Amino acid sequence: MRNLLCFILIPLIGALTYGQNKQILYDFGDIPQSLLVNPSTTMEQDYHVGIPFLSQFSFHFGSSGVSAYDIFGSSSVDINTRIQNIIYGMKSTDFFSVNQQLELLSFGWKNPKGIYFSGGIYQELDIFTYFPKDWAVLAWDGNRDYLEREFDFNDISLTAELLSVFHFGANKQINEKLTLGVRGKIYSSIAHARSVNNGGVFVTKEVEGSDNIYQHQIIGANVTVETSGIQTLSEANSSAEVMNKVIKRAFLGGNLGLGFDLGATYKINRKFTATASLIDLGAVFHKNDAESYVARGNHTLDGIELLFPPLSGGQSTFDYYDDVENNFEDDIPLDTINSSYTQFRPLKVNASIKYGFGRSQNAKVCDCLNKDDGDGFREEVGMQLFAIKRPKRLQLAVTAFYKRRFGNFITGKLTYTVDSYSSSNLGMGLSTNFNWFNFYIAVDNILKYQNVAKAKNVSLQLGFNLKIDKNE
Amino acid sequence: MNKPLYLLFWSALIMVCFTSCVKDTDFDQADDIVITPVLELDFIYFALDENDYFNPITGEQLLTVSDTTSLNFLDGTFVQEDLKRAEFLFRFENSVNLDFITEFRFLNDNNVLKYELFIDIPAGSTTAPLLLEHIENIEDQGIIDLTRASKVVVNVTVPTSIENIEGALNLQSKTTYFLEI
Repeated sequence: MRNLLCFILIPLIGALTYGQNKQILYDFGDIPQSLLVNPSTTMEQDYHVGIPFLSQFSFHFGSSGVSAYDIFGSSSVDINTRIQNIIYGMKSTDFFSVNQQLELLSFGWKNPKGIYFSGGIYQELDIFTYFPKDWAVLAWDGNRDYLEREFDFNDISLTAELLSVFHFGANKQINEKLTLGVRGKIYSSIAHARSVNNGGVFVTKEVEGSDNIYQHQIIGANVTVETSGIQTLSEANSSAEVMNKVIKRAFLGGNLGLGFDLGATYKINRKFTATASLIDLGAVFHKNDAESYVARGNHTLDGIELLFPPLSGGQSTFDYYDDVENNFEDDIPLDTINSSYTQFRPLKVNASIKYGFGRSQNAKVCDCLNKDDGDGFREEVGMQLFAIKRPKRLQLAVTAFYKRRFGNFITGKLTYTVDSYSSSNLGMGLSTNFNWFNFYIAVDNILKYQNVAKAKNVSLQLGFNLKIDKNE
Repeated sequence: MNKPLYLLFWSALIMVCFTSCVKDTDFDQADDIVITPVLELDFIYFALDENDYFNPITGEQLLTVSDTTSLNFLDGTFVQEDLKRAEFLFRFENSVNLDFITEFRFLNDNNVLKYELFIDIPAGSTTAPLLLEHIENIEDQGIIDLTRASKVVVNVTVPTSIENIEGALNLQSKTTYFLEI
């Protein structure tokens, strides 16, 4: 039963843990979805059609600073002590990330001039938050042991978006060495929220000559939360109304945006190839149902001063508590702003260099008579670089890979990735072709599969396609 | 691909899934997680002198002055459930050559007394003010009673008239809240 549960849960957990870095899928020409990571990837088939809703499903949960085992692992140390140690040990640049994609539609074809056109629709959920270290410490310990310490609002930095993407692209071999690819995207935002670039601090300190023992100060607060599409969803009267709005927005009824993917593949010589891509070079323009909340100002609280006013019968004293609240609201008013804003999508950059060798066994790139002299190699080794722009800094990953083709039916790729999550991430991707039917699976962090709880980032991605050749 | 090899491949993949698991973890430990922040927050402060013991409306000299402030947060559900202990620190400085009695009466919305404390402050002088710190630790039944209150009435009493007596009685105070969430 335990293994059966694992069998069901692990792919699901894996599916929940596929990151934005699709290092296994990158430049994996056997899989049509690799075009979404680099639009210049060469497609071998003449047509492809993804099985609707099944051609790509991925979901990621990752943490740069903590795994489930770090918290819930069997240990003689009390769990509260472990959590405290984790909070103390993590940095404000550590992060948690959730990314999920579901491809609804995918198709592609090669025209007589050799241009491979491809398009489709996918839905994406992306949530990213830095670890709000100062506020986690304040919530966990309180302020008693941290007098004079400034708790920084800049530690609060998060983004969340749900959108659908309509895309269409093409790639073409420009000359013997260079293949270029481009993909245009229309983003249809369903909901978005972000709170980034916040400023100001909260501090409790003893100030010589002050009226009371402490001063609780908020200095230079500048905190903004921008939302779009959330207000009307929260006001909906029923879940059916919510679903109607979500579906409408998913199909170009939401706040729209434009973006591009760019890719290039350059054959340095017969065996060395370099590639690069820019993904999601674009923005969403939030005009409808946009609501932002802004709190700016300075405030000092030093308790409640009793004035003992002279009163005659029936008179009541001042409302000191209301005064405290009103002073706070006067000093740091919370403004609600209904104005549009522009949200740049997180830009992803991929690059690679690879070396091909070995006789190709691919029937379509038959090298049977011209041993080891064709374009399609049986094996490839190389390095990949991935970067994604996040609110505070770039998130980087470096991958070494080995790819091998087993006949016409299976192509495998092994990856070793060093990134913010770990320095021992071994991944494996397999693509199998059976007649027109293509199935692919990409498993990340397989060294942790014996105990997924120890992984900060484990992933699994799979999908089904039909790949069709005119000559078959 | 021949069929046996194809089956072997998928069998191996399924085996990987079967042998993968979450081990050596106990998610029931989540029930043991207790967040125990200790918050320091200023409480009330005042400065009283002879002028405060004269009521210009009635023309009376007073022996007791009184004031009230609401503490709306104190009887909230969160505080009632999660506040396990409160420690009040009262720091008095008396430069008046008279004893004072301070009384803190914590009342609920219906003005029913829920918790009460008295602090006697000996006389001081303008040249050598009397410094007094009083710590009131409230827990167990006391904290249950305290968190049913939503206001505090402060009475400050002198035994004889303070008229024409120099000096002032100053109070600074803070509360340390011990929470278990």
